[in-house]
Amino acid sequence: MPKNTEKIGYACAYTPLALIDAAGYTPYRILPMSDCPDQAGQLLHDNLCPHVKRILDRAISKDLPDLHGAVFMNSCDAMRRLADAWKRVRPADSIILLDLPATADDAAVAYFAGELARLTESLSEWSGRNITNSDIETSIEQYNQLPPLFNRLRERLRQGVLAGGSTRMQTFYNEAMMAPFEKSARSLKQALAEPESKDPQSNGIPVFLFGNVLPDPEALTFFESCGARIIEDDLCTGSRLFTPIELGENQDLVLQISRSLLTRPPCARTFDPGQPLKMAEDILTRTRASGARGVIGQTIKFCDPYLDRLPAVRETLRQAGIPLLLLEGDCSLRSIEQQRTRIEAFIEMLD
Amino acid sequence: MMYQYFKDMADGIEAKILQDPDLPNPRKKYALETARLGSRLYSGNNTVAWCGLAVPFNLLNAMGITSCFVEFVGAVLAATGTADPFLEEAEQAGFVGDTCGYHRSVIGAARKKIMPEPDFLIATTCPCSGGIAIMENLADLFDKDLFVLNVPQEDSEQNVAYLADQIRDMVEFVTRHTGEPLDEDKLRQTVESTNRTRKIMKDVYQLAQNIPSPTDGRLLTNFGLVMPLFCGTEAAVEIARAYKDEFTARVDNGIPGVPGEKLRLLWIQNRIQFNNPLVELLEKEYRANIVSDELNDIFWDPIDPQDPYPGLARRAIAIPLNGSIQRRIEHLQKLARAYSLDGAINPCNWGCRQGTGARGLISEGLKEIGVPVLNLEVDCVDQRNFAEGQLRTRIEAFVEMLHSDLARHRDE
Ligand code: SF4
Ligand code: SF4
Repeated sequence: MPKNTEKIGYACAYTPLALIDAAGYTPYRILPMSDCPDQAGQLLHDNLCPHVKRILDRAISKDLPDLHGAVFMNSCDAMRRLADAWKRVRPADSIILLDLPATADDAAVAYFAGELARLTESLSEWSGRNITNSDIETSIEQYNQLPPLFNRLRERLRQGVLAGGSTRMQTFYNEAMMAPFEKSARSLKQALAEPESKDPQSNGIPVFLFGNVLPDPEALTFFESCGARIIEDDLCTGSRLFTPIELGENQDLVLQISRSLLTRPPCARTFDPGQPLKMAEDILTRTRASGARGVIGQTIKFCDPYLDRLPAVRETLRQAGIPLLLLEGDCSLRSIEQQRTRIEAFIEMLD
Repeated sequence: MMYQYFKDMADGIEAKILQDPDLPNPRKKYALETARLGSRLYSGNNTVAWCGLAVPFNLLNAMGITSCFVEFVGAVLAATGTADPFLEEAEQAGFVGDTCGYHRSVIGAARKKIMPEPDFLIATTCPCSGGIAIMENLADLFDKDLFVLNVPQEDSEQNVAYLADQIRDMVEFVTRHTGEPLDEDKLRQTVESTNRTRKIMKDVYQLAQNIPSPTDGRLLTNFGLVMPLFCGTEAAVEIARAYKDEFTARVDNGIPGVPGEKLRLLWIQNRIQFNNPLVELLEKEYRANIVSDELNDIFWDPIDPQDPYPGLARRAIAIPLNGSIQRRIEHLQKLARAYSLDGAINPCNWGCRQGTGARGLISEGLKEIGVPVLNLEVDCVDQRNFAEGQLRTRIEAFVEMLHSDLARHRDE
């Protein structure tokens, strides 16, 4: 079988893409972008994260490419419910739900490695091929090529010399989330081979964007049309997905994937009990380092991991004197566009 | 102030029990122990741990820790009709109304400093993402150490071993804070006592399955949720025994919990915690009895006193709110059959992604075995938007439908 012709769906930034790739599949992120009718609320509830509901809507409306199966992470209640509903909506799919500890201590890393080993077994069963250590190592090495390429593109973005600006950056992220590795690596390299060109939006006000799910490149265009320049992001559909897997000598590969995933810049759902609400400090540090003049927090409705931590972010930034605008959306461009006046007023205030 | 409130409450209940010491008085004994827990939490003389729901409280009892899950505070505030200002406080601090009312009220109470300051906190990832986020906030607010138990979803060897090891680490964490190591003999006794309580509670639930049931819609409210807090103590054994005695006497003497019981209902997940007329409406006007609550069940095996950690881990993993919805549905179906249920009510607590988030799947699962479900839209803690009239109408329509189903089956 030629490599990577079949796809495995996934929905969370903690998914080990390299393992899926090692099994000969293309990891395909099921993004919550579609015009499918709202039906997921019937199976679950309307007051559930729109990210999850839209993904389920795509499954109900059969608005998905051929998928061999799907890998879900137990990252939050809503994701668990997505895995439950998936079984009902697409009973023929091979699916697996991996437990994901909320902490990243050694025991949690070892446990999550066990979950990843379980995934490897399932992928092996699904694909009918034995996944060797060398397969995994090759895939890790491949996927490890992406973060430095993204870093270089982000640097251009920061300097205002990436043609297409943050909108284009998002299309690169989206491609890397859905296409075979070779294809996305090629696109990134081609972009880097282009001469630096002044982004017409580069005199927008530099802003740090954090939150959960915002995959629509048009949303970034929209922020720019309001006078902002997103110079750095911390989104689960953005920079957070592409961080390297540390490869030490003679170590268990799966354990290394586990550690790298659990210790990468976290989604609000993962935290260090020794430093409660450190997420707020992290946002402050990254904002300062990026040179942003203000912060936009873009979260989606009914997302408990974020909703319950935003008060701390707000307070920390307030104390630091950094302006913050909190936007609540439903993953759609429209929900962001409706807040144009607030965004424009915020950017004007930063000017 | 709160200490005095709970102390007076405990004294008052005790005095009432003494008026009729020969009666089983189950609900009074249960309320007494709850009040005593409240006064211990507020006395300032005990080592206090605020916890998540799936913490092995019997183990903490063996270590002399006064511990409680934080949602208890929300339930108490709602039950006493005092939650509103705390909910408002939380909302003003940025905790939006879309989140669970239990958690908003707890945050409000902590911010307004009516929650006793803990010595440390122990969070559990079960049952919900909101719960663990609130524990992180409380640890920050109180500036106290936080320990997290990651509760896996399924009962497998690897999962049980992981959680059992974490519980061992929790013991070390507690010891570091108290300076008192765990007395292994005490733990053994505590586990034995827990198993005794378990066995009697199992009998209690079995008795409640009688037709008509000896229970009514109030006697066992929150029972399965709160009893784990007392497990390992003689008080738990005594409360369970009082229920068993009361129910046995009622069954033997043909005294039903709801006279003329016609419909038998299941309540899914949490009760509405503030005072409301819905249970009375069901019982008085429709002879509909809530004979079973989802969490009133023994879903765990006895724990081995010689090697308790795996058993403690299994118990946490087995909590019906943990794991897949399929497992939860199977449990609900089991209850439906055991209690010969006619229907189920799901309050769909506003803001609960864990339970309410699966509303449609749960309804389908019960419908498969012929048990219709009424899905309400209630915030079980926040009474500010309680739409009594609307709920009445929906409940009335539901029970009337059940009555006519019943009549049709009788005619067939
Ligand atoms: S956006 Fe929030 S609620 Fe939705 S899947 Fe992500 S973490 Fe979960
Ligand atoms: S009602 Fe739901 S969200 Fe609230 S504490 Fe219970 S499980 Fe968590």
